[in-house]
Amino acid sequence: MAAKLLLSVDIGSTYTKGGLFAVEGEELSLVAREVLPTTVDDLARVFAEVREAVLAGRTGAVPPADVPVYWSSSARGGLKIAAVGLTPDLTLSVARLAATSAGGKVVRAFSYELSAEDLAELRSVEPDIVLFTGGTDGGNSRVVLHNAARLAELASPAVILYAGNRKVRDQVAGILRGREVATAANVMPEVGTIDIEPARDVVRRVFLERIVDGKGLSSVVAAAGREPLPTPLAVFELVRTIAERVPGWEDFALIDMGGATTDFYSHTKSFHGGDAVILRGLVEPTLKRTVEGDLGLRVSAEALVRSEGAFLESRLRAAGLDPAALQAYAADVSHRTGYLPEDERGRGFDRLLAAACVRAASLRHAGLLQRVFTPQGGFLVQRGKDLRHVKRLIGSGGFLAGSTDPSLLLEACAPGSDDPDTRHLVPEAPACYADAQYLIPLLGNLAADFPDAAARAAVAGLRPLTPHSHQRG
Amino acid sequence: MDAPRIVLGVIGADCHSVGNKILDAFFTEAGFHVVNLGVMVSQDEFLDAAIESNADAIFVSSLYGHGLIDCEGLRQKALERGLDRIILYVGGNLVVGKTPYEEVERKFKAMGFDRVFRPTVDLAAVAEMLRGDLGSRMN
Repeated sequence: MAAKLLLSVDIGSTYTKGGLFAVEGEELSLVAREVLPTTVDDLARVFAEVREAVLAGRTGAVPPADVPVYWSSSARGGLKIAAVGLTPDLTLSVARLAATSAGGKVVRAFSYELSAEDLAELRSVEPDIVLFTGGTDGGNSRVVLHNAARLAELASPAVILYAGNRKVRDQVAGILRGREVATAANVMPEVGTIDIEPARDVVRRVFLERIVDGKGLSSVVAAAGREPLPTPLAVFELVRTIAERVPGWEDFALIDMGGATTDFYSHTKSFHGGDAVILRGLVEPTLKRTVEGDLGLRVSAEALVRSEGAFLESRLRAAGLDPAALQAYAADVSHRTGYLPEDERGRGFDRLLAAACVRAASLRHAGLLQRVFTPQGGFLVQRGKDLRHVKRLIGSGGFLAGSTDPSLLLEACAPGSDDPDTRHLVPEAPACYADAQYLIPLLGNLAADFPDAAARAAVAGLRPLTPHSHQRG
Repeated sequence: MDAPRIVLGVIGADCHSVGNKILDAFFTEAGFHVVNLGVMVSQDEFLDAAIESNADAIFVSSLYGHGLIDCEGLRQKALERGLDRIILYVGGNLVVGKTPYEEVERKFKAMGFDRVFRPTVDLAAVAEMLRGDLGSRMN
């Protein structure tokens, strides 16, 4: 019996990737792949070009138009979410987590009562969705109702997704009548309890039903015959699927570094307890994504040099290089999204910028363990997520996909602090892999319909990175 | 009417967890909605939890003798953060040494706590007092 063919396409902001896969029983294998620069003003065009290039002459007896297409997009700014919460450390922080876990990018976050100025700012960042939270179930309603009244005046086509205090949900929906509104279960029903899955689900639905049009994606929907996923959501679901279905992959992390952002995904239990360890703050979910808008090799290169300046400078000094030269390089490449350096100097700068991205993304994703001395003796206080049990680490995105040794990815294990009583809970000594064929997002698109096969193919397609193993030849 | 809401926790660098669990069990059983933050709770964590859960009262425990320094300013901070009607109770071994209870109570009341309890207090009496205080706050 001939294998069934599937096409998967990911429209990124810079490149559009396509892969043709053959599915036979529980096995998926790559038949062909293609990468083309994204034509931002006409996404349907690049979609058609990639489709044609990948399928050309490879579909045998099957007419190319009959090959099912799965696809994702992060073009045109991806899925922009503004988060509204009550207190910064509780509902707002959970709202951020829900937004990023749904594949969105938090473009602005607001706590307490929204002011007229906040509203103007909210409008100016043009969010696709306003994720509106606040209060535990039965908890605060005063601020929530105030914010609902404010949001009712918001002059923006954004969909307002209410996932706050359940007690006033109907009232909030009433206040927002006439607007694009969706509701989901409270992201923090009790202080310290996180429940982001329902909100994530609604974000995904809202993206499909109401946002796709505005992103210039409807013509692609017509051509593909299927709705897209936001790219980070496809990756998020693949990470979950791998962890749940591939033995030995229960605890792993994935870093997807691009020109504009660095995404960090982890699947590992957040808190392992122990007698002398006290957890403060929220218990973070086993599957977590963070996205850093100031960590990237091109569009964000200047922001990166600013936010990770101290680290970059110490590395440059150690290598006897001038920090000003890196600054000039960053300024230059920040306007050239598709630029690839041709000399060793440029490649060295890229490696250094990449090291800073990997290191900072890991430190920000990971929690902290601090030794505190109390009258009852020494205790360890954990805040945030413990990544020390992460056994495997995957690098994806153009630069990391091309890695041939693990040194760059192992920057994710940097101690981050000189203080002996403060420890960043980054991975300790993970085995490293490169998503060498950049299949992760493509297989993410297939994870819902072919979970076992997609998970296994993703792992099989990785290149294990061992120290000093240089490319053959 | 909804159950009154209490935020519970042991303040500062204090890790005494047994009494905290007893308070949680007792007040839940007594019909209150308890938000228990556990041990080593900072002032801001008490206030964040009270704001999100629209709490009626915060019960601060302190067992290790550093209560005065840990509790200083909690009332002002609550007011600053808009919790202008919150009831504040504190109890435990609040200070080190043999300071008479009346002296301890005076100090904590001066800091803005509504009631101050010894570690030996009868919890049923505390529940009664809280219901009374909640009733008079309504008026």
